[in-house]
Amino acid sequence: MLARVRAACPKRRAKEEKRMRQRINDELIVDHNHDGINRRGFLKCMAWAGTGTLCVMQEGVLKSLALNRWEELQQPHGQSELSFAQISDSHMGFSKPANTDVVSTLKAAVDKINALPQAPEFLLHTGDISHLTRPEEFDTVEQILKSAKVKDVFYVPGEHDVTDGDGKEYLRRYGKNAQGGGWYSFDKKGVHFLGLVNVMNLKAGGLGSLGAEQLDWIRKDLEPLTASTPVIVFAHIPLWSVYPDWGWGTEDSAQALALLKRFGSVTVLNGHIHQTMQKVEGSVTFHTAASTAFPQPAPGKADSPGPMKVPAEQLRALLGITDVNFVRGQQALAVVDSNLA
Amino acid sequence: MRRALLMVCAAVFFLGTAKTTGGAANGATNQAEVKIDNFAFVPAMLTVPAGTTVKWVNRDDIPHTVVSEDKGTFKSKALDTDDSFSYTFTQPGTYKYFCSIHPKMTGQIVVK
Repeated sequence: MLARVRAACPKRRAKEEKRMRQRINDELIVDHNHDGINRRGFLKCMAWAGTGTLCVMQEGVLKSLALNRWEELQQPHGQSELSFAQISDSHMGFSKPANTDVVSTLKAAVDKINALPQAPEFLLHTGDISHLTRPEEFDTVEQILKSAKVKDVFYVPGEHDVTDGDGKEYLRRYGKNAQGGGWYSFDKKGVHFLGLVNVMNLKAGGLGSLGAEQLDWIRKDLEPLTASTPVIVFAHIPLWSVYPDWGWGTEDSAQALALLKRFGSVTVLNGHIHQTMQKVEGSVTFHTAASTAFPQPAPGKADSPGPMKVPAEQLRALLGITDVNFVRGQQALAVVDSNLA
Repeated sequence: MRRALLMVCAAVFFLGTAKTTGGAANGATNQAEVKIDNFAFVPAMLTVPAGTTVKWVNRDDIPHTVVSEDKGTFKSKALDTDDSFSYTFTQPGTYKYFCSIHPKMTGQIVVK
């Protein structure tokens, strides 16, 4: 069963479902802010992402498509030019309730990736690759990801990947083409990607942190780009304040977002919280991915953000991957979550 | 003879108790423990006499570290469940520390 189902009143859902079926492929045309984005429509659309609906921007206007009409995106006018997938929080080495076999669930994620309607070109792993920064943990993940039918895997570290203090093991493996603390950028088909590091040099009582050196690098890196260049930023800890009490936020993310403000299409992909969450702010879409290892409670719904223990048969429905497709010239970035059930 | 024996016994007894009540002078140290559970150090603030060895034990189902805020005084490796880390505080002062993996977790040892 694809995609997470969001909780909703059954009667209301049935009503909404009927309305949505009637309006499939409708254009949402109330453009209050004259920026081509109908926020109310977008949020409504996002609420339906959990029942297998794709939210796609075409010609600056939001469209909702049932997932079984995915083929429409493949038409000449909507050809998906760039396709990649995001996985996160594999926590290789973790072996406790609710998952004593994170190898199996990571393999299930790879199977899901290999079964996507449009084959992703590469993977982004948004961190917590390992559970205890151990070399054998990194090795196992790399080994498993070799069976994903993708050309490349791009990593950014999570806090579990740098517990050796200075991120020595992580940087030894993945820091070769990166700056200072492991951040880097690359381009794919005219889309600019920034892999950021917000898990090093954390201060007591604080949140995630990018640091002055990295912010300065981001400024210089973005400088030559035109505002119409689609930008995708990926980092482990969310770049918006999901739940500061649990450390679910980045202290200086506002400075990075200020540098991204001039761009027409920015997508921020994060992990860390082991559940999917979305937020739209102007031209920036924030999205967090599920873990492939274990779920965590919703903000404030437990004493602490530790592993959420669930019955075995429910586990895979709470783990997942994210599929991202970019449609050229129409600024469309379709972000779809799938669980591993 | 019996009185002498009694005196010796009493002396040994007193010496013995002196040993167990933190006589740093003869090499024995106090022990104290901080439990790590549910993303918290328990107790968050602990007061100990100088010469105490504090042992942090991780009872949580996720790894944590114990790092002094100055990042120099003490620094544990990542502690998995049931792992522990010990440090002996010889100098009086207030030692603030945190978990470098989850920096919202903070604690302090007050050494008198």
